[in-house]
Amino acid sequence: MDKFLFLVGEGFKNMWRFKLTTLTSVFSIFMTLYLIGLLFTIGENSQKLIIYLRSKYKIEVFFKQEVTDQQARQLTEQIQKIPGVRSATAIVRANAAQIFKRQFGEDILTILDANPLPASCVVNISRTQNTAVDISPIIDSIRQIDGVDEINFQGRLINRIEKYYDLLFKAIVGAAVIVLLVTVSIISNTIKLTVYVRADLVKALKLVGASNMFIKFPFIIDGVLQGLMGSVLASAALYGTITAGNHLIANMTNRIRISSDIYTISFWLISVAVLIGMIGASRASAKMLK
Amino acid sequence: MIALENVSYSYKKWVGVTDVNLKIERGEFTYIIGPTGSGKTTLMRLIYMDLFPEKGRVLINGFDTNRLKNRHIPRIRKNIGMIFQSYNLLSDRDLFQNVALPLHVLGMKRSEIKEIVSEMLNEVGLYGKEDHYPEELSGGEQQRACVARALVKQPEIILADEPTGNLDPITAYDLLELLDTINGEGTAVFMASHNYTLIRDRGHRMVQIQEGKLRA
Repeated sequence: MDKFLFLVGEGFKNMWRFKLTTLTSVFSIFMTLYLIGLLFTIGENSQKLIIYLRSKYKIEVFFKQEVTDQQARQLTEQIQKIPGVRSATAIVRANAAQIFKRQFGEDILTILDANPLPASCVVNISRTQNTAVDISPIIDSIRQIDGVDEINFQGRLINRIEKYYDLLFKAIVGAAVIVLLVTVSIISNTIKLTVYVRADLVKALKLVGASNMFIKFPFIIDGVLQGLMGSVLASAALYGTITAGNHLIANMTNRIRISSDIYTISFWLISVAVLIGMIGASRASAKMLK
Repeated sequence: MIALENVSYSYKKWVGVTDVNLKIERGEFTYIIGPTGSGKTTLMRLIYMDLFPEKGRVLINGFDTNRLKNRHIPRIRKNIGMIFQSYNLLSDRDLFQNVALPLHVLGMKRSEIKEIVSEMLNEVGLYGKEDHYPEELSGGEQQRACVARALVKQPEIILADEPTGNLDPITAYDLLELLDTINGEGTAVFMASHNYTLIRDRGHRMVQIQEGKLRA
């Protein structure tokens, strides 16, 4: 027990004895993990934003005059089955007259003695895909359905949003992969550095007959603590950034809000940093023991 | 206790030791003398298993380098105390912590460690300087701290590699007196030196080494 307490104590003391290297290591861990967290939050929110925008995509399909309400419902069911379509709602002729009255304040039946409005349907696009929604195949499929007269949709706007989202998504994934690789390398190397500057301690311990585990243990504790400190700081900074970002946005609009599961992100950041700290310290000290 | 049988070791660019045969008995005081680069340090490193012979074998307390496993090395070193010319004290720890280090490795209790270290510092004449850092000690004091660190775990043998190399003649003489006292208490001492004048009249066994070979 005394040996164990000594080794744990050594892990803590080592950090204090080598303040500058520890500080450098913790700072680089903090910076890289903060960047990772930030990228993750941007990615998460851009996806939520695109889901919101997709929910606003609307295709209006007008059926030919001879299409009855019953047929309109059947055609709507047919449209619903097209890949990429989330929902399709039939608007029968009577409903169309009610909508006209709501929008223009006049009863078309009173004016014309008959209802000239065709049956139609409103199509919503599927919104949970990560990849960009290509609306053209959906439009083509609808156009091929017998009984369809006219299709209205915001084609250019949808295409533009999808194109930029696609680019942003690829950029975020690419940046996240690069930053993650750099993070692993930086954390591992800075922790190695903190181990290498203690070469004299390793030498002294070897000469007095310390086992490899005895020598490695304080370094592992040290590596874990550095990872823990860096990642806790990164999580706190991320929380602060999200809060400040929301505060700024709230001053401009109350429709948008940065949402983030900070606890889950923090959990992953801390787990990754602790693991890398442990492995990095273990490998670096093992290398010196050869 | 320690036996080197036909031991040879060479570095990439020069010969370390060639065909060395040497025995050190329990409680014996042996000097190994030779000029710089003659192979004294190589011999020491072979004994404390920092190097392994290319030919021959080293036997220490029943352990044979030809059949040795890595996990045995710490066990062997626990019975060897080492003193170096450059002291090798840890600059970020005070005297007490430096001397206590081998006892932590042995897993002793804090109270025991405190008692043993205090006794040891008293024995080497450093009592009262427990909280001094190495840079606050003179060369002689640092070397005595090094002796205390080597002795504190009560090893069977002390290996001293040019321990007087950085000391003035008076301090060097004091250190040799200290090593004599330690040897008188039953610990074997194997000391390397290139200073023949310093050790010739001390009445201990002397082995000469030159260009990696032992001379009679």
